[in-house]
Amino acid sequence: MRNLLNFLVKYNNLIIFLFLQGIAFYWLTTGNNYHNSVMVKSIQSVTRGVEQRISNLRAYLNLREINSDLAAENEALKNTIEKLAKKENHRLTPVSDSISRQQYTVTIAEVINNSVNRQKNYFTLNKGRRQGLAPDMAVTVSDKVAGVIAGCSENYSVAISLLNIDFRVSARIKTSGYFGSLNWNGYNPQYAVLNEIPQHISISVGDTVETTSYSAIFPEGTLIGTISDVKKSGSDFYKIEVELFTDFRKLRYVNVIGNLQKPEQQSLEKQFQ
Amino acid sequence: MINSILKYALIAAILILLQILLFNNIQFSGYINPYVYIMIILLLPSVIPSWLLLLISFFTGLIIDLFMGSPGMHASATLLAGFSRPYVLSVIAPRDGYEPGVELSMQTYGFRWFLVYASVIVFIHHLALFYLEVFRFTGFFRTLLRVVLSSAFTTAFILLAERYRKR
Repeated sequence: MRNLLNFLVKYNNLIIFLFLQGIAFYWLTTGNNYHNSVMVKSIQSVTRGVEQRISNLRAYLNLREINSDLAAENEALKNTIEKLAKKENHRLTPVSDSISRQQYTVTIAEVINNSVNRQKNYFTLNKGRRQGLAPDMAVTVSDKVAGVIAGCSENYSVAISLLNIDFRVSARIKTSGYFGSLNWNGYNPQYAVLNEIPQHISISVGDTVETTSYSAIFPEGTLIGTISDVKKSGSDFYKIEVELFTDFRKLRYVNVIGNLQKPEQQSLEKQFQ
Repeated sequence: MINSILKYALIAAILILLQILLFNNIQFSGYINPYVYIMIILLLPSVIPSWLLLLISFFTGLIIDLFMGSPGMHASATLLAGFSRPYVLSVIAPRDGYEPGVELSMQTYGFRWFLVYASVIVFIHHLALFYLEVFRFTGFFRTLLRVVLSSAFTTAFILLAERYRKR
């Protein structure tokens, strides 16, 4: 007993260290799955309040830029309305039933916390389950890829950013149609890497890269970026550097896109796997 | 006593706010991510009981974790820095040892001593943090380069802040 006590007194430092380190590692290994632990959830509601305030301040400072972005988007939308209106006037075009065949839902959310300087970047949106958001919904900025929702609370969501070394998205080259997998390599927030494109295809710098609909997350043809550099890696595949369209450093208003037909597609696919 | 606790609390609050509001937004070619809040651990008095030092380190990291939404990696890295601090201090001790009432500052122990002290602790902290962040060994040397560059930046900031710290 005395020996035990002596041991405890002598190494109390190490024991506390190992104990606390154990807590940290437990969190580290289990907590990557966002918003799992109850403790984090309750405390983060406090930090969210602070984040919201900081975000409000930033929103005020960026008003001019946001204004011009909105004006540009408005213009584009008005043009589409014009085109659609013309189409409807045309008697012979078939009417597409937008209620029963609607595939995607769009929700606009504001980014209240964002980072680009880590290896695993996430951003927080100010809408959550109550507003109809759910994990695995796509996040885009005016038709350009931004990320995927990783977890939702009642009124907030956390999305895994494209700038996260764990993020992968199925992408293809628009001109040739060949697809591969795109991910960020952690270097520069403006570039990502497209892999698994075989070397017998001719690729030119400047080609557009867009998403496929294979994962049933992003709508087909959501823009990602343009090819800025092509390297031949040791294997049979190219290593293609893609300059991203989205500027993650000024992410503010994003569209959250849900795929209504995803359960159907996935349940069908499951039957054959 | 109360006075010095208040002083340390103020320093801690300022550093954490600086980290969250300013340094978390610094992006310099993906290689430099300074984490200056580690200065809190550097400045704690030399005679602090080791369990208290560990607890303070852990909770400092925890606060940063909660604000950055990262799971436990700052807590772990800061705890390691706090754990290694007594050993670092004993290795680089000046000839007369440390006086209990005197704070660990550049003024008392000189620029070279503080440079070695700060850079070693910052390097330990950043090393643990950056490898925990990527959590893999692919791109080992690139992560190492990030550790070295960010440590240099953080140390430079800490030296500057220490130079102009009042009192």
